[in-house]
Amino acid sequence: MVNHLLGGVPMNSSKTIWITVSTISLVATLLLISGFIYAVKDIVAPAASENASEAKHEAKTQEPMGNKSEITVAAIGDSLAKGTGDDTGDGFVRRAVTLLQERDGVKVRLLNNLAINGLTTDRLLSKLDEKGVQYVLKRSDIILLSIGGNDLFRAEQTNHSRNMQDITLRIPSKEEILKVSDTASLRLQTILGRIHQINPGAKIIYVGLYNPFADLKQMREVGNEAVTDWNYRAAKMTSKDNNIMIIPTFDLFQENIKSYLSSDHFHPNGDGYEQIAERIIQGIQ
Amino acid sequence: MNLIPLIKNETIKIIKKKRFYVILLILLVLVPIFTYAQMRQAQNNRQKFEGDWRLELQQAITDNQNSLGSDRVPEEWKKYRRIYIEQMQYYLEHDINPNEPNGVTFTRQFLDNSISLFIPLLVTAVASDIVSGERTSGTIKMLLTRPVRRWKILLSKLIALVMFISLIIVSTVIICYLISGAFFGYGGFNVPVFTGFLLFDSDVDMSTVHAVTSWQYILMQCGLTWFVGVVVGVLAFMVSVLVRSTAASIVTMMAALIAGSILTNMAASWKSAKYLFMVNLQLTNYLSGTPAPIEGMNLPFSLVVLSLWALAALIISFLVFTKQDILN
Repeated sequence: MVNHLLGGVPMNSSKTIWITVSTISLVATLLLISGFIYAVKDIVAPAASENASEAKHEAKTQEPMGNKSEITVAAIGDSLAKGTGDDTGDGFVRRAVTLLQERDGVKVRLLNNLAINGLTTDRLLSKLDEKGVQYVLKRSDIILLSIGGNDLFRAEQTNHSRNMQDITLRIPSKEEILKVSDTASLRLQTILGRIHQINPGAKIIYVGLYNPFADLKQMREVGNEAVTDWNYRAAKMTSKDNNIMIIPTFDLFQENIKSYLSSDHFHPNGDGYEQIAERIIQGIQ
Repeated sequence: MNLIPLIKNETIKIIKKKRFYVILLILLVLVPIFTYAQMRQAQNNRQKFEGDWRLELQQAITDNQNSLGSDRVPEEWKKYRRIYIEQMQYYLEHDINPNEPNGVTFTRQFLDNSISLFIPLLVTAVASDIVSGERTSGTIKMLLTRPVRRWKILLSKLIALVMFISLIIVSTVIICYLISGAFFGYGGFNVPVFTGFLLFDSDVDMSTVHAVTSWQYILMQCGLTWFVGVVVGVLAFMVSVLVRSTAASIVTMMAALIAGSILTNMAASWKSAKYLFMVNLQLTNYLSGTPAPIEGMNLPFSLVVLSLWALAALIISFLVFTKQDILN
């Protein structure tokens, strides 16, 4: 009595269709409803399940540096390591990698650039506790580090617009800078020690500070003093260990602010980064 | 008259009209395309990070951290990114790859991406035709002149629809898994996935985070997708009762769904948009710990909103269908 609607479909065919479709969809519906109930329960009242730390599955243990034909590089630190101000985005990190590859004819691979704009010594210190960061550092032959500039010069103006006027308005006094420099350089020491501890075999290259205000009368003297003081302390820290070295950049920028700094008057431009990169690879034998 | 023969009748009609085959065909064409796109992306990443997912993930974290410092990134996005960073760090901390390339992961991601638009569209393709199709072809008169109560006819159509919604979701999962598995491998059912991230504004509470296996996760996703499918199906069903032509009823539903996906992207400042059904479709977000588009939304809220819309649609459908005159 129903079949006249189907345009004369034979009884058998429709019976098979019905039995197949109804069985499969019944099973599917029940399965989906149970999935729905499971999901709602799990979201509304979570934490009933097993502990996350027990979830370790076949964690593939990576063979540590099986391939010695290539040099691995990682960068960590502030906007300088990030390459801010470089129109090509390469910064000294990629430039150094390229230069090193050209010079030595070996494969140099940049594992990760972990640099973050505006990073200060205390935030870097807490970053070093992250497992992902440690993982990268452990696998690197060369670790490029740039830190400290924000502690000295920019600590107070992270939330303000970054044009030149603001910087000149906010010139820290000599005492202020020296005070910050004391605590920050202690943290630098801890940072170097910590990185060395994470990967004792890696060459750690610390990029020294320059004075971005060398051409501003009011800032030149204070800046120079703070930066040379900082670099001196850093050099003392690095002198104890062959695997840690400091690359000077102070002299590069003293008389070349106009040609080596980018328009924000704080970060190097492409040429400035190129100079730093060349110095870095000079330090790598 | 018993309901079962009526449901059987409706089921066979849907099969004979080949709507369901069209849906299967769409899946068979689209899923390989998505799989291929995914594979290209994976290849690209493998080249850059030499297949080390930890390096890749750490770089993603660093990139997001960098964008947090930029004044030009809207606060809304920063919130999403902060939460993303914390979740990814949690995965690194526990040494689990959140995107391990295999058929199961692909299926998981596909479900996440299709719950609010793709699956609802497929459901609409069946549901929009179910009553208005009878009008277009004129068979509705034959149907209604039979000695069966009108509500029973409508109920049988509704039940058949729900059956097909279940079939659509299950076949989506199976097709996804089979096709993507051919590219990425069929393993990965027991890879853990974290769920239970509690979000408070831009903070994540990790205390209730726990691992479930991928297949459990997919089962939960399917359940939520099914609920969304039924709600959308019921709404399309109502439109199908109200509107005369199938084309008009499909277009109405499509417009509503697409409006929903646009709204979710920009509705954050219009708070009362959260009472619209189409903003609440992304239920799997609550599972993965992705922030809801509008503040104050959570799973119970979305479920209540969706249920109320579905309930209203059901009442309207039955009232209209039992009362309306069938002309022409």
